[in-house]
Amino acid sequence: MIEIEARKQAASRTARLDAVFAALADPTRRAIIERLSRSEARVTEIAEPFPMSLNAVSKHIRVLEASGMIERHRKGRDHILSINTRSLDEVDGWIERTRHYWEKRLDAMELLLRELKKDHKTGPKDRKHGSR
Amino acid sequence: MVHGDTTGPIVQIRRRVRAGAEQIFDLWTQPDLMVRWMSPYPGAVDCKASCDLRPGGAFSLVMSSEQSIREVSGTYVQIDRPRKLVFTWTGPLTNHVNTLVTVELNPRGDETELVLTHERLPTTAICEGHTKGWGNILDHLADAVSKDL
Repeated sequence: MIEIEARKQAASRTARLDAVFAALADPTRRAIIERLSRSEARVTEIAEPFPMSLNAVSKHIRVLEASGMIERHRKGRDHILSINTRSLDEVDGWIERTRHYWEKRLDAMELLLRELKKDHKTGPKDRKHGSR
Repeated sequence: MVHGDTTGPIVQIRRRVRAGAEQIFDLWTQPDLMVRWMSPYPGAVDCKASCDLRPGGAFSLVMSSEQSIREVSGTYVQIDRPRKLVFTWTGPLTNHVNTLVTVELNPRGDETELVLTHERLPTTAICEGHTKGWGNILDHLADAVSKDL
């Protein structure tokens, strides 16, 4: 039972990460995230710097909301967007784990290369001893 | 982390290695050598590797101890010995989602500059891709990512 629970959790984590990565695949959405990482902002403020319609920017915003990367709340008439730092932490987590994994593996690879070199050096010497 | 013109976040590692590109390439592609460094699990872990070294061919690395079995597997995309190796990669590290690993080996005198790039595939590729069929193994591997690495 615990295994099934853990598997469900892993699956939903995967789904969340996929949504986040898909959301980040677009330069406009990356720019929106960058803007919101500085401070929360109104939808109109977000749209301002982009050479596209408010409607087009809104579509990007909806993709980001669906991915869980940004959240919307209302302040009077305004829709305020803010970043959900937890989802970014998950991305950072994946990058961190992956980097760590390969650094360790490459350390092991270099260690093996040194071992192989040593074997190569001692190998012929041993044979010389043997032939004496 | 959110930058560049790539399709998604990637991890890239560069390293100068004191060995020739051919030898390093063989460490990545010959099963008897792969088992000697690719397993991240220390201790009494039995590691078996198999590979069908051709584009579209599969490789797998199965690590088993008394408690559990873990598998890393993928498909070769590009094989250009000794300069470049590209393969898909799925396992505990990637939460059993298909990812892409590129290993480039650039000779620098007696040494070799190794550039490893690990990237997530676009989501559509993940959906259409090879993530199906791992159900049985998944049952054993559910703990995955954070704990195991």
